[in-house]
This record gives sequence, C-alpha cells and structure tokens, in this order.
Amino acid sequence: MTLALGVFQVLFLIVGAPLTRGIIARIKARLQRRRGASIWRPYADLGKLFRKEDLAPPASSPVFRLAPRLLFAVALAAAAFVPVLQPSALLASLGDFVLMVYLLALGRFFLALGAMDGGSAFGGMGASRDALISTLAEAPFLLGLTAVSISARNPSIAGIVGWALRQNFFDISAVHILAFTALSMVVLAESGRMPVDNPATHLELTMIHEAMTLEYSGPSLALLEWASAVKLNVMLALLISLFGPWGMATNLAPAALGIALGAYLVKMLLLMVVLAVIESSVAKLRMYLVPDFLGVATALSVLAVIFTMIARR
Amino acid sequence: MVWDNTFWAFLALVGVIVPLSQLGGRVKPIRALGTLLLLAGIVAGISVAGVCFWQGTPVTLRLPSVAAFPLSLTIDRLGAFFLLLICSVSLPVGIFSMSYVAHHYEAGKARWMWALLSLFILSMSVVVTASTGFAFLAGWELMTLVSAGLILVEGDSEDRIHNVSIYLLMMHAGAAAVVAAFFLYWPYAHGLEFASIRSASANLPAGPRTVLFLLAFVGFGTKAGIIPFHLWLPRAHPIAPSPISALMSGVMLKTAVYGFVRFGFDFLRGGPWWSGYLVLAAGAVSGLLGVLYAIGEHDLKRLLAYHSVENIGIIYLGLGSSLLFLANGAPQWAALALIAALLHTLNHAYFKSLLFLGAGAISHSTHTLDLEEHGGLLRRMPVTGMAFLVGCCSIVGLPLFNGFVSEWLTFRSFLHGSALSATAARIVLPLMIGVLALIGGLAAACFVKVYGVAFLGRPRSVEAERAGEVPPTMRIGMVLLALNCILLGVFPLLVLSSLARLVQVLVPGSTAPEEIGSISRVIPWVAVTLLGTLAVMLAARRTRRSAATWACGLPALTSRMQYTSTAFSKPIRSVFAFVYKPDRRVELLPADQPYFPASISYRSVRTTSFEKLLYRPAVDAIVAVAYQVRRLQTGNIQVYLLYIFLTLVSLLVYLRFLR
Repeated sequence: MTLALGVFQVLFLIVGAPLTRGIIARIKARLQRRRGASIWRPYADLGKLFRKEDLAPPASSPVFRLAPRLLFAVALAAAAFVPVLQPSALLASLGDFVLMVYLLALGRFFLALGAMDGGSAFGGMGASRDALISTLAEAPFLLGLTAVSISARNPSIAGIVGWALRQNFFDISAVHILAFTALSMVVLAESGRMPVDNPATHLELTMIHEAMTLEYSGPSLALLEWASAVKLNVMLALLISLFGPWGMATNLAPAALGIALGAYLVKMLLLMVVLAVIESSVAKLRMYLVPDFLGVATALSVLAVIFTMIARR
Repeated sequence: MVWDNTFWAFLALVGVIVPLSQLGGRVKPIRALGTLLLLAGIVAGISVAGVCFWQGTPVTLRLPSVAAFPLSLTIDRLGAFFLLLICSVSLPVGIFSMSYVAHHYEAGKARWMWALLSLFILSMSVVVTASTGFAFLAGWELMTLVSAGLILVEGDSEDRIHNVSIYLLMMHAGAAAVVAAFFLYWPYAHGLEFASIRSASANLPAGPRTVLFLLAFVGFGTKAGIIPFHLWLPRAHPIAPSPISALMSGVMLKTAVYGFVRFGFDFLRGGPWWSGYLVLAAGAVSGLLGVLYAIGEHDLKRLLAYHSVENIGIIYLGLGSSLLFLANGAPQWAALALIAALLHTLNHAYFKSLLFLGAGAISHSTHTLDLEEHGGLLRRMPVTGMAFLVGCCSIVGLPLFNGFVSEWLTFRSFLHGSALSATAARIVLPLMIGVLALIGGLAAACFVKVYGVAFLGRPRSVEAERAGEVPPTMRIGMVLLALNCILLGVFPLLVLSSLARLVQVLVPGSTAPEEIGSISRVIPWVAVTLLGTLAVMLAARRTRRSAATWACGLPALTSRMQYTSTAFSKPIRSVFAFVYKPDRRVELLPADQPYFPASISYRSVRTTSFEKLLYRPAVDAIVAVAYQVRRLQTGNIQVYLLYIFLTLVSLLVYLRFLR
C-alpha cells in the first residue's frame, strides 16, 4: 500500500506537471487582464510535439538525443524523493537531499551538453549562462536544505518532513523563515522563472533555458518541456513538504489521504498564485545582477545554518 | 608466503628486469618482451595489494641493508590500499602507453620512456609500502627525480628546463620538511622504523607534536599541490607526456595524501586542536581557487592540472573534517570523513588519469591541446569520446559515477559537524557544505565547457575535422579506467567495506559508519530508475531526420559561430574577476588615430596573485641573501686559507671550552 502510494505520488507529480504550468500561465493571463489559454493547453502542446518528427542538426552526436531523455529520467527520479500525500516517498528515506540535488545536477549537465551539441551560437550561449546560474545556485540550495536537516536532525527528506509534521506551526523558527526564503529564490533560479530567466520569451539577449532548447524539436522538445515542468513541480512540492507539510496523511485511511490531497492542492495553488504575481510584477534581472540575487540567497542560507546552532539552545 | 614471492616478483620486474631489458635490450623483441613483463609485474602488484587490502594480512619483506639505514617494506592495509591505487592505474596507463610511446618517440627515447616509467611505478610503490623512514625517503627522492627525467625525455627546450627546475626545487623544499619530520622523531623513537615511530608517538610532548604536524602538512602539502604550494603543479604536469601526466596527477599526488595520512593519523593520531581548521582552510582554498583557475584555461592539460589542485582540495576537506572530529572526540564521524577522503583519493586517481589519457588521445589525433581547435570529436573518436564523458561525469561528482560517492560521504561528514559540542566546529563544518557545493557547481560548469567545446558541436579546425579514432591499446586503457569509474560509482561497497576496516585501525574507537550501507543501497536503485526510464524512452523508435539549423538568413552555420571555450567561461570569469585580476592591454596603432587604427592588438596576461605576492618576494629575498653570501667568495687563495684557519681555531675553541 505504501509502495502503491509512493508510485502514485511520482505519477501525480509527473502527470500533473504540465497542469501546474498551465494554471500559472492562466493566472498570469488573468493578472494581465487577458483571458489566457486553457489550463490544459500544455498537454495539447506536448501531444502535438510527440506526434512530430525528431530533427537533429547534422553536426550533432548521440549526446544530442540522449540529453532530453536523461533529463526526463532525472526529473522522474527526483520526483521519487518528494513526499506529497504522506511524509514518505519511494526514495525519500533511502536517499537524502544531497543525492536529490546532485541528481538534478546530472540532468542539468546533460542538458547543457545537448545544447552545446547543436553546433550553433545559441546553444553555447544558453549553456554558458545556465552554467553561471546553476553554479551559484548550488551552494544556497544545499545550505538551505542543510539548515532544515540540522533542525530536524535527519538527513533524509522523509525524516525532515516527518519531523516538521510533529512541530507546531506557530513554533516555527527563524531558521525556517531564512531557509524558506533562500530555497524559494533558488527555486526561481533553478526552474528558470522570473526574475532570473523569462520562460515566455525567445529574445537572444536574455534567454537562457529557451536558448538551450532552441535546436530541439518533436518528441525531444516535448521531453525537455515536460522534464522542466516536472522539475518546477517537484521543487514546489519540495518547498511545500519541507516548510508546510501540515495536512499530510499520517496513516493510510482514505479520509486522511483525501484531506492530504485537498491540503496539497490548496497549498500548491497558493504557491502558483504567488509565482504568477511575482512573474507579472517583477522585471527580469540583468544577467550580471543574477549573481547578486543568488548571493542574497546564499547569505540567507548561511545565516539559516548559523541560526540552527542558536535555535537549539 | 606465496604473496611474499608475488611482491618480490613485482619489485624485481618493475625495478630491475624491465628497466634493464629496455636500456640493455639490443633487439626489438627483447624490448617488447620487457613491456609485457612490465604489465605482468603490475598485475602481480595488483594481486598482492588486493589480497592485503581485502584480507588485511600484511606482507613484509626485509631487504639487505646497512644497520643504520634499515630497508624494509611492509604492505599493511593502508599501504595495500595505496599500492592497489598505484598498480590499478598503472596497468591501463601501461596499456595505453604501448601504442602512444611507439607513435610518439623514436626508439632511443622510447627505451628511456619505458625504463623510467617502470622505475617511476617502483618508486611510488616503495613510498607507500616502506616501513622505515629510510626506505620511504629513498622512494620519495627517486620518485621526484624519475618523474623529472620523464618530463625531460619529451624534450629539453629552455622553457621546459625552467619549469622542471621549479618542479625539482619545490619538491626538494617539500622533501626537506619530510626529512626534518623523520629526524625530529629520532630522539624519541631511536630509529626510523615505522613501528618504533608509532609507539614513540603515543607519549610525545606537545611541542614536537605540533612541529611534526606542521612539517608533515607543509612537506606533503607541497607534493600534493595544495594552494599556496601548488605553483609547480600546473607547470610540470602539462609538459609531461600524457601517460606520465596521468600517473603524476592520478597517482604521484596520492603518495602525498598517503604520507599525510600516515603521519597525521597513523603516527600522530590527530593533530593539535587547530589542525582540522588549518587543513579545512587549505582544502577549501585549494578547491575553490583550483577550479576557478581551471575554468579560465583553454589548454586541456593545464586545465586538468588545475583540477588536480581542486580535487586534492576536496580530499583535504575530508581530511580536515576528520582531524576536527578527532580533536572534538568524535571518532565515529572522524572515521566517516577519513573514509570519504581516502575514497576520493582512489576515485580521483581513476578519473583524472582517464582524463589525462583522453587528453593524450586527443592530442594524438588532432596534434593540439588547445580546446579552441577541437570540436565535434565525439563523432570522430566515439570510444575516446564516451570514455572521456565518463571521466567528466565522475570528476564533476554526478550520481552513478565514482566521484559522487566520495563527495557524498564528505557532505555527510560535514553534516554530522552540527552535532558537535564545540561552537566553532559546529558552525564551520556545516558551512563547508556550501563550499563543497560551490566547488562542485564550478567543476560542472568547467566540464560542460571542456566536453561541449572539445567533443560536441562542429569541428573548429582542419585537424579536428580530420581526426580519427586512436589505436586499440589506447582505447583499451581508457575504457578500463572508465569501467572502474562506473563500477565504483554504482557498487561502492566493493571498496568501502575494506576501507571501513582500514579506517577502524587508523581511528581507534570507531565502527563502520552507517552511511556506507545507505549509499550502497540507494545508488543501485537510482541507477535502475534512471536507466530503466532511459531504456524505455530510447526504445521508442520515432521518425528521425537530420536537418540543418536555420542560420538567420546566412548560407550555413560555420564553426566560428559556435561559442568558444573563452566565451563560455566569460560569465563566470567576470563574476569571479577578483580572483583572476587579469592584466589587459589594448594597443591601437597608430596611437594618434584612435578611430581609424591600422591594427589593434589585445593582450591579456594572468599571473596568479601567489606568484606576485608570495613567490616573487621569497625568490627576491633568497637572491638578495645569495648576493651577500657571494662576497665571501673572493677567489683569493689567501682569504680561503684564512677561512680554513678561522674554522680550525673556532673548532678548537669549541672543543676545549664550550663542550
């Protein structure tokens, strides 16, 4: 039963990922007083792309085809680390947060290689910019997770979530506020959202993630798009489970699971609204201001780690 | 007994028979036989080291020696681990060299290459199996000299001799510290045998303890190439022949780690309370600056040499955290950190020698090591390309490859720091997670650059366009190392269980950490998940077509439109400009017509701050002292007679009155 629930959680995160994107786009449209496309639109896009043929530049090597598929496999593996309905997931107690972060790094590494393999200027441009951002995001990502893991005295994500569930919401410490802020900034940077990257533009002066996927088409592009949607979904679910797990089912009774699902959807919707508001109200940062943005995240996460020591007393 | 004989056979083959057959062999078959005997000797070494490492029964050899300078070799578990490292890297490197040496050197030089290569392996093996200080120092010195000889086989241009002299000078400065460390033990241990040194260490006063620790730190740190003692490393490694670079970076640096572990853990059982912070700081600085300097390079071998500094930094992070845990009375976690450091030592040996062999293969096919002249090599050299990719993934520390396991263990040891009682350690150790994460991120950026520019995209030069796959033995060498990287990445328990037993001896009061079990359980699951998903997706056959990218209206994309290595690293170099401090000059000719220049020249020179601020003043001071000393040398025979007379008088005075 737990296994089945674990599998369900992974499928839920993966299948629901395009919907997350669709809803964010819809909320953004509404904030900009447009009607916006249907929230199911991303599924239609994926379906269309999967039916098309797969084009590759003549100079490219097998890495070009491997990259999107590996990225998707990594997104799937990362989804197995995040608790959704219950404070556990397939790999959440066996593996720890370091493994999860490094799995995402594996995907990013191959995404950048695939971009370089296209042999045009844009792939290299995107890969180079992404290298800067992901390099600087790595430290706050791990330090933020370190801070909560020290508070919970448990390195596994399941352990941290289980600990957080036992805490009173109103007892939340400065560590959590700092770590949450730092990790939210990292999520924005890692999933290529505003103000670090604009997912809605193909302007060569600014694009990062879109530049890396520019040479891809058909099923490869579909897998890339889906994988990055899954990554966003997984990161948001990770934030929810680490910092607001309340409502999760502690037993396997259908009622508890129903409440957990409802609570998760409400929290997710809340995050999506916040994301849409940020994206509609903030301008994209200049490329060389992004290090400052991530520097703030790093400083916050360092403070979070230092505060764990004070919070214990 | 059988293993004693195997070890004898290893020493005889590698130390005597192979060099003699190469240098003395008149006909080609004898020299070819010598090459095969070298490989056979290495296999013997692997088997005896493997048995000693996995079973833990030491093998001891007593060599004939003069009483005051006892020579004996013992393979204990620590020595066996390092002997295994040396031999298991030497075998693929030896196989690689078979066609590499034949292609690159004429017969006269090839003989010296093989003879010195064999002696190089012998010297490193002696260092890690020595059980007396004398044998250790003999191996240590031989190792330095033979490696310098190997660099000079390649050529003897002025530049090369300059770099080799810097190498020799710094090595001997380091060796002086090591010699001093051994002789500081003499009054306490009454000899140079490791056994007596070990027992003397238990009741050593605090003063000599501190001095010994610092001597070991500086002496072995110089050999390991930690910053600021790294100056020789990016000079000496790139100019050696590629298989030798692989051995120098992959293996020779590790003998320094061995020496430091032998002194710091086996003899001294941890250093003063601040030793952990010192080693952590050295590791963090080496790791960060090493990888930052690497990103700025586009000469493949210099880049890899700087990555050696980085990885030694990661190893020292593990060692430092272990010392800090020891000083805070937490042997359990000290053991974890030491296991992480030792495993990273082995992992680095595999992936770094793989990458250096790959660099050799690239230069074999394209005749250049400049990344900007490569491009599109994966399609032209598929086996080399895939092996190199494995090396890149391993050095970056991506899951399923060996570098990840040791970095993960290091991360977990830092995490345990939060449970210590000392406040400073409790803050510093978890923050080191951030440092290691930044190092990892920068390394990933650097190897995306290396692999993307060299192996992917379009060829950037005619040589790269014409490049072809390297001969079979070179491919076998690289594939063997790549398989090691994957094997240890997915099934780390192969080494970890014995390593844990080794560390229990080095860190008394520890048991096998639970992390060993947890990483060994989770990685295969991750592998199954990733490879399963990948297999399903790759199995889905789709219509595929190759189509040229739209070139924005131009006839076609050219290789000049691709991002270069320099362009790729530009954002990171700008953000970390305070590290590089480049000296840029733009010159317009003629100077009075800035808007219509006939020619523009641009020059950007990077000298590291260490050369400017640390080494230059030191060298100037030494030269100044030397000038003063030279005044004594007048060349006048009467003055020299006066010196002799004064010396005689002062000695007589000393003997009569002062003694």
